[in-house]
Amino acid sequence: MNYRALNPEDIQVFSEAISTFFERMTQRPARVRTAYMLDRPEAIVWNDFNGVIQVSGGFRGAVSFSAPRGLLTEVLSAMGEAEQSDENFLDVAGEIANMLSGRARRHFGEGLDIATPISSVRDGAVIPTLAAGPAYVIPHTWGPYEAHLVVHLDLIQRR
Amino acid sequence: MTSRLLIVDDSNIIRNHIARLMVDPRLPGIEIVGLAGDGRKAVEMARSTRPDYITMDLTMPHMNGETCIGEIAGLLPETRILVVSALSDKATALRAIARGAHGFVHKPFSDETMIQSLLELMS
Repeated sequence: MNYRALNPEDIQVFSEAISTFFERMTQRPARVRTAYMLDRPEAIVWNDFNGVIQVSGGFRGAVSFSAPRGLLTEVLSAMGEAEQSDENFLDVAGEIANMLSGRARRHFGEGLDIATPISSVRDGAVIPTLAAGPAYVIPHTWGPYEAHLVVHLDLIQRR
Repeated sequence: MTSRLLIVDDSNIIRNHIARLMVDPRLPGIEIVGLAGDGRKAVEMARSTRPDYITMDLTMPHMNGETCIGEIAGLLPETRILVVSALSDKATALRAIARGAHGFVHKPFSDETMIQSLLELMS
């Protein structure tokens, strides 16, 4: 099988997913900045909490959402969740990664097979290295907080 | 008259979020009979609580939502199931409906979207 890396149109889908998430879930827009490419995924700076979605099917790799505690505290409040525990921060970080990956299926189709999220705190962050192509980081700010979506996927090209 | 609702999602945050919306005055008389975090547990709870309505995630451990919908539709054909999922492609929605679901809400959802979808499910 051959693989191809993502192109700018593919990355735009994830940027739009970030905007949609914050608009719908919190009624407060995020400012999504220009994506940049990392040739070394291990250079990613992780935030306090991370949610990782591994993908398979017509793809290989992972989509990771990384955010500081303050951002997740306010997202939970916007969702009406009063319990501000690490357990809930991990849960919501994984769920956001799930929502952003799931929304990308509008563009990629059901071939983007999504696993249940794996969440971690900063020190326990797992760097997925399932894809051979470059990783893209989509930085975004919401209120005073900065978060990152890391998209590290290859598309399988079937002959 | 009371309606019985089972909420199925592997995220505790999402389960609680949906549960909190049941205080909306447009959704009177809904009793939450269970909260399930995976498909296998959902089938067990559906069998024991016999809900009128279910909100159902699709991407879950142990048993995915599509399989779960098929099992519950076979057990409780009168139960109406609203899929609440991040999977946004049309093929997934159509397959869930074919398995026995009655509606589909995409995550992320606004409170108003969820309430309107539940009202449609119950009408």
